[in-house]
Formats: sequence, structure tokens, C-alpha cells
Amino acid sequence: MRKLLTIIKREYLTRVNSRAFIFSTLLGPIILVAFMVVPVLIAMMESGEATRLAIVDQTGKIFDRVRDSIISEASEASEPSLPGGLPMDMSKSTEERASQAGMAMNRDFKIEKVEPAGRSLEDIKRELNERVRREELDGYIVIPSDVLIGRKAEYYGRNVGDFVSSLQIEEGLSRAVNEQRLADTGVDQSLLRELSKSVTLNTFKISEETEVQDSGGAFFLVLGVGLLIFIMILMYGGTVLSAVMEEKETRIAEILFSSVRPFPLMLGKLVGVSLVALTQFAIWGLLIGGFSIYGAAAVKGQGMDLQLPPVSAASVVSFVVFFLLGFFMYASVYAVIGSIVRTYDESQGFLMVAIVPLILSFYLVFPVIRSPESTMAFWASIVPLSSPVIMPVRIVSQAVPLWQIGLSLLISFGTVVLLTWLAARIYRIGMLMYGKRATIPEVWRWVKES
Amino acid sequence: MTTTDTTVELDHVTKRFGEFTAVNDLSLAVRAERIYGLLGPNGAGKTTTIRMMVNITAPDLGAVHLFGHQINEESQDRIGYLPEERGLYRKMSISDQLLFFAELKDFRGKAAKEAVDRWLERMKLVEWKNKRAETLSKGMQQKIQFIAAVIHDPDLLILDEPFSGLDPINMELLKEIVLEFKAAGKTIIFSTHSMELAEKICDDICLINRSQKVLEGSLIDVKRSFGRNIVALRAEGGEGVLEDKSIVSTVKRQNDEVEALLVQGIDPQVVLKRLLESGARIRKFELVEPNLHDIFVEKVSGGE
Repeated sequence: MRKLLTIIKREYLTRVNSRAFIFSTLLGPIILVAFMVVPVLIAMMESGEATRLAIVDQTGKIFDRVRDSIISEASEASEPSLPGGLPMDMSKSTEERASQAGMAMNRDFKIEKVEPAGRSLEDIKRELNERVRREELDGYIVIPSDVLIGRKAEYYGRNVGDFVSSLQIEEGLSRAVNEQRLADTGVDQSLLRELSKSVTLNTFKISEETEVQDSGGAFFLVLGVGLLIFIMILMYGGTVLSAVMEEKETRIAEILFSSVRPFPLMLGKLVGVSLVALTQFAIWGLLIGGFSIYGAAAVKGQGMDLQLPPVSAASVVSFVVFFLLGFFMYASVYAVIGSIVRTYDESQGFLMVAIVPLILSFYLVFPVIRSPESTMAFWASIVPLSSPVIMPVRIVSQAVPLWQIGLSLLISFGTVVLLTWLAARIYRIGMLMYGKRATIPEVWRWVKES
Repeated sequence: MTTTDTTVELDHVTKRFGEFTAVNDLSLAVRAERIYGLLGPNGAGKTTTIRMMVNITAPDLGAVHLFGHQINEESQDRIGYLPEERGLYRKMSISDQLLFFAELKDFRGKAAKEAVDRWLERMKLVEWKNKRAETLSKGMQQKIQFIAAVIHDPDLLILDEPFSGLDPINMELLKEIVLEFKAAGKTIIFSTHSMELAEKICDDICLINRSQKVLEGSLIDVKRSFGRNIVALRAEGGEGVLEDKSIVSTVKRQNDEVEALLVQGIDPQVVLKRLLESGARIRKFELVEPNLHDIFVEKVSGGE
């Protein structure tokens, strides 16, 4: 036991004290922030200038409606895409909301009315084309007089590939036309607005004790579990591998085996490297958490009300447990690979194979959400390698019987121990036969024989 | 702690790897407070034998006893082992890894730190204490590996080809330390295929060939039992005596010196007497002990 601690201590300290660790710990959040901020900056750059649009209204009565409709489309379109349907302050003026939305994907519009003043459509178009060419205008819409019946309008622009703009224009036009037609039949305008509001669906999960509103936020958390395992394995799988191979390459293995049994050695390596990974993630978590609180406060200051999605404490605990087990499981698969191969290059092919079950588990997530009671969902949440991703998904989508959760945990834990033991065994025998390359049947024979 | 006359005892030990038998029905006893040489050509089974002594691998048949007991983890900590395959953690500082190796033998704390300083002093590597292993030369790394094997002051020291690749000065230094260990009442097992070295340092030897024991015993006994009488002779005359096949079996001439192998059972005194009687003038008459190299070559090639 003391020797196991010695191994863990060495694996942990040598890695945490390395320049690479300090560097990547500091650089990680910077890269992450860059990934999040840069696209927003780019989007803001784009929307910094409003799209200048001219409307040729041949009906003579629909212009105001179309303008309002397109501008409000620009603000409203963004709302349903906010994660978890976060409430937004509806009391704000249209302009404010429009500018808020402009910070997201939608375009701002500057719309002018083109008075025909007796000119023919051809003349107007020629003049507008000239203005577009001179970059005084980004585009114009021609609304024919029969738009209410024909439901067709024309858009001429410099950039017709900008589908966000054209989508907004199309939506705005449609609504304006609909409203105009309803207004023509005598329906009250304010009533109309009231009636066309969309419905928000709040979901509640019925668990054994209470009803809890769990689904939305918890669902993201669950995907987060799988994603975290994935990211950690991508980042640290290689570290586990090189940790296992280190003594092989430096020829220290035999010295170690004269002092410590292979199993504690292998377990010590696994735990040591995992602690390094968790340390790094904890540091990042604190940094991101700090930024989020700061960010939330800043957003609140602007009058937006951000709520954390409601998630029960029991769910959080089980997610953490499944996350840890999932990471250990894949890490021990990497340990087995490390014990078989002789050089890092040789391991590359195996590594892809090791990731496949994890990717398959992601594919299973959506069928499982749709029918968490199915046999497939049951087995996917029990079988090792997919269970750490699938079981949390089931836990948030339905009330999973405790024995199933227990079984899943037990099997996961057993798998980790078994794989570690296997890695230790292969490692030791491989060391005794050094110089020889191990084939899979050979490895199997070693495991069976000794 | 038990003290017995034998530190390590192998009792009819067999170890196989698949079809290949690495060690076959080997029994041997390593006497306490002596230097025991495990000799044999490459691939004879020396390393496998040693690995069973340090509990890296278990025998398929037979038993290994250490310090009078069945081998266990506690007795493992009393061994210092320098394998033939040895290395260091490249990125770790010298003192850190020596402390790590000591800790794996359950030797820790202040005493371990002092031991590191003491040994680095002894090996003249003090200024390298906080350097990474990869910055050291090959020879220095070997000395560090040696320290790793002895840092916890083991009762049994097992060295597998310890001097390969060392320069003469460092070789003398390590030899000196090994002899100090013996003087301090420790047992040393030495594995080598250098007979010259074994002859200089070992008290007892065991010769292994093709996974079997060929001979075992104290160096003196082995040489004596290898009952060959070779006489190195420089003389004028006396040719008739050397040609007498009833007393001399073969004669080898080197310049003016003759090496004569006597027929088994013939007393060298008789030969000397005959030579004097024949009127030869004798300038040199010396009994040549068989050296380990000759014994080794004859035993190994004779076994085929």
C-alpha cells in the first residue's frame, strides 16, 4: 500500500512539476476563450454595419408593415435559439432588442422607401442597380402589386449568398403579407400580435419522490459527462500510454519489479496520471467558473436575467461518479495498449480502436433519450465502455431503478480493475521476454499461461 | 530476522517459457557473507535464475528460499538488485529518483536523504545531485544505477553484469564497494560471463550451461577438483622425459618455454625427479593452476 502511494506520488509530482503541464494549464483557458470570443467578434464585425435595403412597394400600402416586420424579425429570430429557453426581458424597446440580437447572428437593417414618383419600374431598378454598384445600397426588394395573391416578391442584392439576410427578409415579408391580408378582412392588429405568440414547453420529470423540473439543464449536463470523458481521453490517453511505456523505454521496469508487484505499479500509474488530469481540469473549472460568475454579473448588469438550469444534487453526484469511472475505464484500455506495444508509433492504430466505443456511445444517446425504457437502452447503460455515457442519459430521462444503477457502477468498476490487472500481467510478461515483439495471439497465450 | 548459513537456496527449480525451458531442475545454495559468482555463457539461464531470486517471476517447479524463508515482499526489500537491463528516468533529477528507488524498498525520510548524499559523495557525483539523468554520461548513469541498488543497505546484493561498459577506474571503485559489503557481513551474488573477473572476486562459483548446473563450489575446491596438473617448464635437455607418454600426455611449446600436461595421477614431484636424473638444467619449474576460463571452456564445450 505504501509502495502504491510512492508510485502515485512520483507519477503525479513529476508531471505536475513539468513545464509542459504549467504551460498547457495556462494556455488551455486562453485557447478556449479565443474559441468562444473570436467567432462572436467576427459576428459583431459583420453586424456592425446595418444592411441597407430599399423597398419598391408597388402595392402602395404594405411598406410600413414589411419594414417593421423585417426589423422585428431580426430581433425575435434569435430568442428561441438561446440555450434552455432562458427568459429575456420583454419590456425592452424594439430597437434595444434588435441591437441585442445583432450581437448574435441576425442582421440589422436600414430600410428606405423608394417613391415611384411616376417612373417606370425599369427606370427605378436601373437607378437602384446603379446605387448598389456604387455601394450606397446593399440590395432592394420589389414588391409587386399582386403580392397579396401571388405571394411573390423579388430581391436584388450584391450578396445573394447571404442566406441569413435573405431568410429574414423572406420571413418578414411573409408575416407582413399575412398580417396585411388579415387586416384587410378586419381583424384587430394588437389582437393579431397577441395571437401569434409562440408556445414555450416546460418539461418535468416524475421521479420516485417528487416532480422536478430537470430535463433541459440536466440534459446538457449529461452530454457534458460524455463530452468531458471524450476530451479527457483525447488529452490524457496519450499520457497514460507514455506513462505505461516509460519504464519499458528507459529499461527501468526490471528494477521496479524487484521492489513492487506489477498490479500496484500499473494502478499507481493510472491513478497518478488521472490525478494530474483532474488537477488540470479543476484549475480550468475554477477559472471558467470565476469568469462565468463575472460574466453572469455583467449580463445581469445589462438587465438580462440568467438562471442556472435546475439540476438535482443526486444527479450531479451520479454524473461525477460515472464521469470518473468512464475516464478510468478508457484510461485502463490505454494502459493495456501501452503494455502490449513497444514503441509509441506502434500504438497509433490501437488508439483509434479504443475511441470507437466512446463515439458509438454518442450515437446511442439520442435513441436512448427517445426510449429510455428499451432493451437497447438497458444494455447500453450496463455494458462497460458505453455505460458511463448512457447511464447518466437514462438517469435524467427516466426514473432508473436503483439496482440497475448499482449494477452499472459495479460492472464499470470491475472492468477498470480487470483491465488494470490485465495490463499489469501483459506488461510483466512482455518485460520478461524483452526483445520479442508481441502478437495478439501471443499476448493471449501469456495471459492464459502465467 | 533470521541468520542462516545460506542466504539464498534454490531447490530443484524449473522455469519454462512456453516450449522453452530457461532453467531446468536447478539446485544451488548461496552461503552467507560470501561473494557468489553465477557464471555461464549468454542464454544459459543466469538472468532467469536471478529473477526468481528477486521475486520477479515464480518458478514452475521447486522452491526459492531467501534468508531461510519462502520468498515474500518483506524479504524482497532486503535485496539490492542491479539488473542487466537497467536505466533511469530521463527527466527526473538524480536525487529525486534515488529517493524514489529507496522508497520502493521502504527506506524513506531523513535517513534516505542522508544516504543519497553519502553515496553521491562516494561516487564523486555530488554536483549532479539536482541535474536530470539525461544530462549525465553513460558511465555516470551506471554509477547512479549502482547507487539505486545499494542505497537501502541491503543484506543481499545481486548484480547482473555490473561492470559491463565501465572504465577501469570506476570498475575498481565498484569492486572496492562490493568488497566492503562483504566485509560488512552481506552476501553478494554476481552474474557475469567474464571469467577473469569472477576469478578475482568470487569466493564461490556456480557454472550454468544450457539451463542446467554444470558445477558449484568454492573457487579453490573447483580448481582442485579439476584435477589437472600442468607444469610450466624452462629447461635445457630432458626431452626424453617429456616424450614419455606414461607421464606426460601433451606438450605445448612457446618459445623456450614448455607447457606440459601430466597424465592423470602423476605427481609433479616424480616428473621433477626424472628431469633432474636425466641431467637437464632447470631454470623454471612451476605448477600452473587451471584457470576458470579453461574450466569453463572445457566444461561447456565438453558437455556438447
